[in-house]
Amino acid sequence: MSAVDESRARTHGSPIEHTEPVVVIIGSGAGGGTLAYELTAQGVPCVVLEAGPYLTGEDYVNDEWEAFNQMAWLDMRTTSGGWRVARDFPNLPAWIVKAVGGSTTHWSGATPRFMAHEFRARTTYGEVEGASLLDWPITLEELAPYYDRAERAMGSTHRHGRPALPANNNYTVFANGAERIGYRHYATGPYATNATPYDGRPASIQDGFNFQGDKNGSKWSTLVREIPRALATGRLDLRPNCQAVRISCAESGSVDAVEYLDARGDLHKQAARAVCVAGNSIESPRLLLMSASAQHPDGLANSSGQVGRNYMRHLTASAYAKFERPVRMHRGETMAGIIADEARHDTSRGFAGGFYMETLALGPAFLASFLEPGAWGREFTSWLDAYAHLAGMWIVGEDMPRPGNRITLNHDVLDQHGLPVPNVHFDDHPNDIAMRGYACSVADQLYGAVDALAVHHTPPYPSTHNLGTCRMSADPQDGVVDRWGRAHDVPNLYVSDGSQMTTGGAANPTLTIVALAIRQAEHLCEQMARGEL
Amino acid sequence: MSQQTRQQQPSQEPIDLQVDTSRPEPGTPEPGSELAASDRARRMITRLLRVAYPHETFPDGPYQRTAAAVQEAAGSNQADDRALARGLEGLDRAAGGDFLALDDGAAEALLRDRADEYFFRRIRSTAVVALYDDAEVWNLLGYEGASFDKGGYLHRGFDDLDWLPAARVDEYDGGRRVELVEDREAAR
Repeated sequence: MSAVDESRARTHGSPIEHTEPVVVIIGSGAGGGTLAYELTAQGVPCVVLEAGPYLTGEDYVNDEWEAFNQMAWLDMRTTSGGWRVARDFPNLPAWIVKAVGGSTTHWSGATPRFMAHEFRARTTYGEVEGASLLDWPITLEELAPYYDRAERAMGSTHRHGRPALPANNNYTVFANGAERIGYRHYATGPYATNATPYDGRPASIQDGFNFQGDKNGSKWSTLVREIPRALATGRLDLRPNCQAVRISCAESGSVDAVEYLDARGDLHKQAARAVCVAGNSIESPRLLLMSASAQHPDGLANSSGQVGRNYMRHLTASAYAKFERPVRMHRGETMAGIIADEARHDTSRGFAGGFYMETLALGPAFLASFLEPGAWGREFTSWLDAYAHLAGMWIVGEDMPRPGNRITLNHDVLDQHGLPVPNVHFDDHPNDIAMRGYACSVADQLYGAVDALAVHHTPPYPSTHNLGTCRMSADPQDGVVDRWGRAHDVPNLYVSDGSQMTTGGAANPTLTIVALAIRQAEHLCEQMARGEL
Repeated sequence: MSQQTRQQQPSQEPIDLQVDTSRPEPGTPEPGSELAASDRARRMITRLLRVAYPHETFPDGPYQRTAAAVQEAAGSNQADDRALARGLEGLDRAAGGDFLALDDGAAEALLRDRADEYFFRRIRSTAVVALYDDAEVWNLLGYEGASFDKGGYLHRGFDDLDWLPAARVDEYDGGRRVELVEDREAAR
């Protein structure tokens, strides 16, 4: 453990006794961090168990690999299935953060909403062979007021009077290409980074290091907004470097405590009135599976057998284009550029669902690792030589849920605590492949329209959007949680992160996770007021 | 083969995340494996890297530093160390005795023949990180590195591209976006 971790191993906020049954939130990212703030602001004491350290803007570094080693979730994981990540990055299925604030500390900031039909994926897309599509048990109309609150909390540009961010060089290439091939729905947002000072935080200085944590604090994260405000209520006990390892059940069928390991590896048990699991879509099902008991032999809340299944990761394609003249894509906000024209569902393109195109820039260190893993030779180095003349885009689209794409416990490989690591199995659905092929061809057209010399399609890299492994369903047989994120099997157990998402939609998921968490907090408060929790 | 059992350390280097799980199992060291750490090995790896990652503008420094990183990575694991030594010996043999004597084309051809061999894949997984995580290389490629302490790029060219017209940044106000096309008929 580093000196920084050591000095921060102490408790943050207001200490809560281990024997006091409170709301225990596992994870402090978009779901957990939001829930902690919304509940403590309403007077509800909470303990937040965060597996990672308490890093802040001062700790962050403007250096890709150094920041990666500082923030990324590097605990051992294994992979299987036909996806290329299993070959290129066999122990790194996901690129997410292990620190207070979770992956909101390294997210880029794009905040599109789900579209109405995306909550009705099964009805809209029909029966798709090999996919386990389902309609959400909630609608856009129900979530809309919470989307409004989430956008205001996050300061989304282009929404509720928040001004647009200016165009950076990468965007200028991207938007001109879009216009020339007939797209109209392009803009520098919605994007949860301040174009002008807002909510006590400064405007962006366009430093280009979104993925390394934003030292300037212009980007919304639960680290800069929800966590400090929750601590200020005097009702939050935030415990960094604490890894939840088991949720225990009372005879009544309710959960009553969470066992966790602290920074020294000592085991503790925190009594719980309710437990909200928000450890991202790999750790959340892993924790439920590790919490198997006589009452729940296949894992907690898993009578449906759906815990860990239907893992989704979005399309995760990217394209880089080379130009005669300089672009310098590394300058400025990484993802402040969104094209929504292709987000529609339109089967004439040969696939169900849609995708967004968003600006993306990597430094040479990451670009070399992700451009074409394993590649070498002059064709490869020519892309690095052209670094200052490259523009880049990310393609984020809906992928099909499949029952076999799932998180399981790998009992052959143990982590640093001696616990089974999660194995992530993923096979692309033919719909994903068709969408990726189409998306890459329109990326070629877009950059071709502004005279690109060449375009390179980068294979999908470790997943940043991890979704669906404890999904919401109307019927308890189809999923893990109900319309509130409450486990079908356990009355006081909730899932509060992207793993509750029934389908993935095309949109970057953070806004939806925050909206769902605000809504879930309201529900929890109502339940507690009625004495039902 | 079964997946390797390994504990993750907090100080883990990113290159280790890309280790191929089909790596050979560790075994007893063999005579000659110290070659991997020798000066000749350093020169051979440096030459190999220049052939595998050719950049006309790069001086020797970045390649030498990367070669050192390759040797260090191999030295941390007996099986990798042995694989590297054998790989380099194989290159010398195939070159008729001296890999260093080959011209670029001949050296690249030998590497192409060995693109899937473990020692070369392992070299690449280390090199692709080490070579491009180097301040001198960043400078040569036109990447400007850390920017926060300089005030970001807000006043240092984040929007200085002048070969395309300025683009609209606000959302389109000429009509609502089509979200759902029920079928081809509806699209007309």
